[in-house]
Amino acid sequence: MIRLEDVAARAGDFRLAGISLEIPAGGYGLVIGPTGAGKTTLLEAIAGHASLEAGRVFLRDRDVTQVKPEDRAVGFVYQRYHLFPHLSVEDNIRYGIASGPLDRIQQRHRVAELAEALGLTPLLRRGVGDLSGGESQRVALARALAPRPTILLLDEPFASLDPTTRHLLRRELLELHRRERVTTLQVTHDFQEALRLGDVVAVMAEGKIVQRGTPEEVFRYPNSAFVARFIGAANVIAGTVSRTVGGDVDGPRFAARFDSGPLTLEVIAEREGPLNAVIQPEDLVLSRAPQSGSARNRILATVTGLETVGPVTNVFLDAGHPLVAAITTVSAKAMGLARGEAVHVTLKATAVHLV
Amino acid sequence: MRRLPSRTNVTFALLGAVLVLFIVGPIGRLLLMATPATLRASLTDPEFTASVTLTLATATAATLIGATFGIPLAYLLARRRFWGKRIVLGVIDLPVVIPHPVAGLALLLFLGRRSPVGSAFAELGLEFVSRTPGIVAAMLFVSAPILVSGAREAFYAIDPRLERVARTLGDSPWRAFRRVTLPLAGRGVVAAATLAWARSVSEFGAIVILTYNPKVASTYIFDRFTSHGLYAAIPAAVLLLLLALGVFALIRILQPAEAR
Repeated sequence: MIRLEDVAARAGDFRLAGISLEIPAGGYGLVIGPTGAGKTTLLEAIAGHASLEAGRVFLRDRDVTQVKPEDRAVGFVYQRYHLFPHLSVEDNIRYGIASGPLDRIQQRHRVAELAEALGLTPLLRRGVGDLSGGESQRVALARALAPRPTILLLDEPFASLDPTTRHLLRRELLELHRRERVTTLQVTHDFQEALRLGDVVAVMAEGKIVQRGTPEEVFRYPNSAFVARFIGAANVIAGTVSRTVGGDVDGPRFAARFDSGPLTLEVIAEREGPLNAVIQPEDLVLSRAPQSGSARNRILATVTGLETVGPVTNVFLDAGHPLVAAITTVSAKAMGLARGEAVHVTLKATAVHLV
Repeated sequence: MRRLPSRTNVTFALLGAVLVLFIVGPIGRLLLMATPATLRASLTDPEFTASVTLTLATATAATLIGATFGIPLAYLLARRRFWGKRIVLGVIDLPVVIPHPVAGLALLLFLGRRSPVGSAFAELGLEFVSRTPGIVAAMLFVSAPILVSGAREAFYAIDPRLERVARTLGDSPWRAFRRVTLPLAGRGVVAAATLAWARSVSEFGAIVILTYNPKVASTYIFDRFTSHGLYAAIPAAVLLLLLALGVFALIRILQPAEAR
């Protein structure tokens, strides 16, 4: 278990403030945020490398705020691997167990076990200078796991890898995570990684956590335009919400209008005034003819571009405001969509998330 | 077809060549002045061999003392932020800008028997003026900046995250220093120490004021020049030059490739 209580830390000129976060034992947490958000500093604070100005760090239910890094039993993998360049692959992996309770045979066995799991066996005798990025990252991972830490901290471990290696390593990491039952906290700037790996996601900006939840919650209900844009929401529209006269009311929620220039949408809101509308591309339904049904928003738009990404086609639209819809490539072909053509867009009022 | 070098490059090369020749010229001229016979004669002169032995021993002692106190300081200066760091950096570099006879006078006043420090050392049986420890003190004073700056650069070049990884793998700060930082910075630190040693060997100005006798090699050459003339000083000067060139070659071998 990793628990941070109102942590404030400083590293150089950078400051973390008011960080509270909990990753359950055996869980996989992800901290996402843009470069300079303080993600690495957060990991270093957990590992004990950055001294805290306030707050407490708990690892395995124990308050380790004052505990030295070497006594925290934490594995740490940096983005740039930071392998020891004067040691072989084998000695790098063995580094953390060379002086522990294991005898030399047990050490060799542990190194061989991890090398086998990560496909490093043929590389054990080699120096680390001529390893590829993927190989280096595997060695760094094996080195961190060798002492059997119960906590693993990963600093953008896939950022410097090509997409194929990244995909492969991600799978291997998940497998290792399950096998070694290590509570893992990974930082990344890639929300897709969070969707694939994490049980818990925290979004960081300027040294603070601005939203936390399950990846699905954060993806579906970003709490600010910043988070929406950061997680890659294609449709984030600034506008104004005003209550519909005589509209339905359900507790704090009421029927309202969202205006952004020529684009007007019916929405369900909890407050009026300037807000951002977040619309998932999958929630925009396209058709050649006007649709009847329960959806409150029916817009006539012009196709401005098409982008096919395997089975999904992104359709770029001008509806008085640029919008992106995601439909299956089969549907796009069946509809015969082309640039400059008119298309009817249908959208439920409940699919517009206001932040 | 190869492009001709630009006029700017040709001009810069010619200007640089003047300076290179200015350095190579005197050294070459001096080397050519010595004959095998005169070199042999110098090598068998007990006064000269004693001065060289004294030079090598005192330079080694100054370097070891400098390394003992300077390497930990260099590490702190490379790794830690602390109050007064800029002042310490300035103080360490101070001997570089002080004319060496001035350094000799300052050391004479500080370590002489009339000073509190000098008399305290004298009580312990350690005297500096006109004694071998005076030579070591003068050498340490002028060579310490080279050792500390070089070692600091060597430590600075090692990514501190390597130490942090070692710490998370169970190392204490000292163990991480011993297992990771020192092996990686080792060549740079040894190169800095060798350069400091070479600087000690070449020192004259501060030594001649603090301890004219016993004579180190540079004092011996100066003495030969003032007492017996130019040609009497040449063989010893050439031998000292060859020693310096040997140390220089060693430093170039020890330095990491990118620093050369």
